[in-house]
Amino acid sequence: MKTSAVLSAVLSFLSLATPGSAKSSSRVTLPSTFTPPQVFKNANLVHIISVEKNYVKENINVAIENIDKAPQDEYFLPFTADQISRLGGFEVKDRKDASAGPFAVDVVEFDLESDTQYVRIRLPTPLKSGAQQTIGISYYFLKAYKPLPASIKQEEIQFLAYSFSAYLPSAYTSTKQKTEVKFPSATIPDYTKLPGSGDIKEFPVKQGSKLTYGPFAEKPAGAIEPVQVRFEFNKPVSHVSRLERDIEVSHWGGNVAFEERYTLYHRGANLSSLFNRVKWQQSQYYQPLSHALKEIKFPLRVGSADPYYTDVIGNVSTSRFRSNKREALLEIKPRYPLFGGWKYPFTIGWNSDAKNFLRRLSGGGYVLNVPFLEGPKQPEGFEYEQVEVRVILPEGAENVKYSTSIPSSSIKEAGVEVHKTFLDTIGRTTLVIKARNLVDDLRERELVVTYDYPLLASIRKPLIVFGSMVALFVGTWLLGTIDLKFATAK
Amino acid sequence: MSAEPLQALANVGKGESTRTLLRVVILFLIAGAAVASRLFSVIRFESIIHEFDPWFNFRATKYLVANGFYSFWDWFDDRTWHPLGRVTGGTLYPGLMVTSGAIYHALRALTIPVDIRNICVLLAPAFSGLTAYATYLLTNEMTPSPSAGLLAAVFMGIAPGYISRSVAGSYDNEAISIFLLVFTFYLWIKALKLGSMLWGALCALFYGYMVASWGGYAFITCLLPLHSFVLICMGRYSTRLYVAYTTWYALGTLASMQIPFVGFLPVKTSEHMPALGIFGFLQLLAFLDYVRSAIPGRQFQTFLWLFAGGTFGIGLAGLVIATSAGVIAPWGGRFYSLWDTSYAKIHIPIIASVSEHQPTAWPAFFFDLNMLIWLFPAGVYLCFQQLADEHVFIVVYALFGSYFAGVMVRLMLTLTPVVCVAAAIAVSNVFDAYLIVKSPSTEDRQVEDVSEAVAKKAKSGLKSTSKPVVGVYSLISKGAVVSAMTVYLLLFVLHCTWVTSNAYSSPSVVLASKLADGSQHIIDDYREAYQWLRQNTKDDAKIMSWWDYGYQIGGMADRPTLVDNNTWNNTHIATVGKAMSSKEEVSYPIMRQHEVDYVLVVFGGLLGYSGDDINKFLWMVRIAEGIWPEEVNERAFFTPRGEYRVDAEASQVMKDSLMYKMSYYNYNNLFPPGQAQDRVRGARLPEVGPTLDVLDEAFTSENWIIRIYKVKDLDNVGRDHAAASAFERGLKKKKVMKKRGPRVLRVD
Repeated sequence: MKTSAVLSAVLSFLSLATPGSAKSSSRVTLPSTFTPPQVFKNANLVHIISVEKNYVKENINVAIENIDKAPQDEYFLPFTADQISRLGGFEVKDRKDASAGPFAVDVVEFDLESDTQYVRIRLPTPLKSGAQQTIGISYYFLKAYKPLPASIKQEEIQFLAYSFSAYLPSAYTSTKQKTEVKFPSATIPDYTKLPGSGDIKEFPVKQGSKLTYGPFAEKPAGAIEPVQVRFEFNKPVSHVSRLERDIEVSHWGGNVAFEERYTLYHRGANLSSLFNRVKWQQSQYYQPLSHALKEIKFPLRVGSADPYYTDVIGNVSTSRFRSNKREALLEIKPRYPLFGGWKYPFTIGWNSDAKNFLRRLSGGGYVLNVPFLEGPKQPEGFEYEQVEVRVILPEGAENVKYSTSIPSSSIKEAGVEVHKTFLDTIGRTTLVIKARNLVDDLRERELVVTYDYPLLASIRKPLIVFGSMVALFVGTWLLGTIDLKFATAK
Repeated sequence: MSAEPLQALANVGKGESTRTLLRVVILFLIAGAAVASRLFSVIRFESIIHEFDPWFNFRATKYLVANGFYSFWDWFDDRTWHPLGRVTGGTLYPGLMVTSGAIYHALRALTIPVDIRNICVLLAPAFSGLTAYATYLLTNEMTPSPSAGLLAAVFMGIAPGYISRSVAGSYDNEAISIFLLVFTFYLWIKALKLGSMLWGALCALFYGYMVASWGGYAFITCLLPLHSFVLICMGRYSTRLYVAYTTWYALGTLASMQIPFVGFLPVKTSEHMPALGIFGFLQLLAFLDYVRSAIPGRQFQTFLWLFAGGTFGIGLAGLVIATSAGVIAPWGGRFYSLWDTSYAKIHIPIIASVSEHQPTAWPAFFFDLNMLIWLFPAGVYLCFQQLADEHVFIVVYALFGSYFAGVMVRLMLTLTPVVCVAAAIAVSNVFDAYLIVKSPSTEDRQVEDVSEAVAKKAKSGLKSTSKPVVGVYSLISKGAVVSAMTVYLLLFVLHCTWVTSNAYSSPSVVLASKLADGSQHIIDDYREAYQWLRQNTKDDAKIMSWWDYGYQIGGMADRPTLVDNNTWNNTHIATVGKAMSSKEEVSYPIMRQHEVDYVLVVFGGLLGYSGDDINKFLWMVRIAEGIWPEEVNERAFFTPRGEYRVDAEASQVMKDSLMYKMSYYNYNNLFPPGQAQDRVRGARLPEVGPTLDVLDEAFTSENWIIRIYKVKDLDNVGRDHAAASAFERGLKKKKVMKKRGPRVLRVD
């Protein structure tokens, strides 16, 4: 059952990309005078901003209407240059037709100097003149908040501020729109107030932990209304500036080894006075919630074994691993509680049986199905700026293809390299995928790699080791037979 | 019929090639045991570099691997001894690092990607296997007994005296140099026995390697001339000695001068003079030998006296003049402390403050060598019985080594090889006599007697020169002696394992404790604090700490330090000692002048960790007093009754010192009022803790072992720090005052 699912996944994705020509998110270059043609109208737009986690998740559900005479299939969404650099996980789906799959998305490159950049969404079928379609756009912003106040005391509560526009900056006229902001708690001490319209006197409307701006009347293309919200977020603002994830497949050992190297930062409020151990120890008893990062939990795949947790100066003993038939939970603690502005790079790794991930295809060849991202699962979220996944296949593996359910706009580049390690002669085929701006919401997404692994390649290493040992013994024997002594006269 | 298979079984061990194979297998097993017994700490903790000095060697090795040999050779390290820096490439023994680097690159060439740290951690155990082999070779030169060498190899492999410096992770110069020491001795004996220039050159080569690896090479430099001198005095001058010694000295000295740190020392310092003197002496003897063969005996007598007396006088005068003129450096402080054990305590506190420079306590000999220590004299006695040139070497080495091992704890290391060799000779002698199952039958004896009588008649020598035939007849006495020795050997193994496991396998960077349920709990405060420094301070933040932690901060925290374990500049260390032991107003300018950003102290009061800075504090005071006797006074740190206290009774100078304040700052807040307890010194601390004006607490590790303070910047409005913090405290006090109600005018 599972095999067939994998197979179908492989077949459906293989067309997506091959590593040789793997610039699936290639930027589209347009002339610098480009402006999106006014061919659409946003008939109804709901913009949901979620600041519940330490990244921002935005959902735009919009009914678009073609107001041009010809059928159109290119919808543009504007962002600022700064936003584009922090934008990740961009996905567009048809709200009415779930099976339509994600739409093709490109970042348009037209003028590097311009502050306005566009993301182009290509509808799978051109929209006829006057017709409507409801699409759902979702994406994430990383490094979205700034702590306010920027530095607080150890035992104080952390507040974050987020700025955005009350109207969605759109390239098209919006007839009707509203913006909802979801918060982690109901404590929202400051937010920008706007004059209301209709029966509502003043925007936003506060409902528990939710603020709603709108509904607004018709707004022209490009209209913005900057607002800022400041809310309680007494949780760590974890940020991984770089994650290197190695997946090493061993056919001889029947093992898949994972290693992940994190460069972790806390982007929250800095300490206004330096770290005080007495206060920290006392607060552990009567106020366990803190904006410091104390513990990270990695729910690994069931069957993971031999975990390790180290940093640059050796093993870190403060970790626990709970493994049974239902779960494999790795809980690690940094060497010190991580406060705002502090940094803690570390490495974790574990092994797993190859049969959990690797299948042999009926046509020869192998298919490897691993999670693209297996980072921690924290209630406050986890964000990754740079991710480099390296799949180290056995020596001699060839014809490598991959596909992934990670939004293709997040993948920067992919290629095949050679990695030389234990007694390799030609080196191992390594698939390197670089992605950016990912978040822990995407940790269930999979990476499927297919490759061929001929028999000759699999017995290459034993043959070479055997051959060199034989050569060594024969060489020693030959050397031993040489007589270096001077003949003694008798 | 049934005897045949038995016979065949008994014959298995008799063939020459079978014996060789057995020997090889046994030697491999010994090497395996030697390596395995050193892995306790890796299994219990992790693959980690231990203690203090190894952290520098590790850091230097990483530098070598990263930057290549030539930049390592020219390495000027500006991250230690701030602001002076250290010419590291020219002031270290590179042998250890180059060895690890070579192994690293060899493994890389075989595409085996081993972390350099693992090579460094496992280098010492790997070399201990080689040491066992070298001891085997050396012992085989001493005795014809086939078992002595193997026994010596076993002893060397597991003797705690050597394990103490070569467990996994103890990445120090001694890790490879004991192997080099023993192997050089073996080559020396070989060269001396054969009078071979080739073996002499090999000996010089390994001597050069030894010089490149450890300052203890001076032991060889002194022992070989001493051996030669004793041989000459015994009238055993020979061309073999001449060839072996001159080859070794000429090539070995040249080799040693290639090391920048050694440079011209071999011709300049007193420690190297005996070798040079014997070299000259041997030339004279060779010359005299030649003259004697050329001129008649009577003339030769007068010639000899005149010549010898003249040369000796000229040589001595030359030495005295050269020493007083400063061409030859006078003896160093460490050297004097070898003769007078209380010398260092009076004159050089920095040498005395190191625990391994203390004189050895008697139990330490038994602790480190167990039964070998009582077998050792027996083995030396057996050497006296034969007394060939090589046995003289063992005797000389035994005397020399025993003396130095008694003077300094760390020199137990150089004694251990000779103890192993001598003890193995003794044990093998016992076994050779008692392990023969067949008792000498009377017939055999008669036959022997007859044949001996014949031989005697033929030789007609003295009766005493012929050995009487002795044999052990009773199986019971054989069994008793053999089983007793076996029990001793087994006990020895037990003792060695116990000592290694309990005394020598703690990394000291990581501490272990047992929880109530018996599970192991790791106390990792050092690395917690070092990692914090490494990640959360700016890259060139200068850390001031006592010199013990300098190498660790350099290796783990990767931050510049003021002083470290390479104690080359006593004044700089004394400066840090003064800053630690003075009042804040005195210390602050010192810290500003040295651009100190953070101060690190080790405090064991919460956990009961006794190796902390308060316990080391008196050494800081003494070293500072050595340079500034007017400003720092050791007596003032004691109570009037002469006690060293930290509680309310402590002297005011003690309470005002920066070290005291940094150790106990904020500590009383951890306890209910008045209950603060120092668990190391068993003292109840005053209810009001010390105040700090010029420092801010920056980080304290989980168990309070490491405390890091940030040096405050100058005050914004130009007040001194005491006034500034008094002002801040004053504000708070005023608020309290207000609550007391309206002021009432006092009416007299």
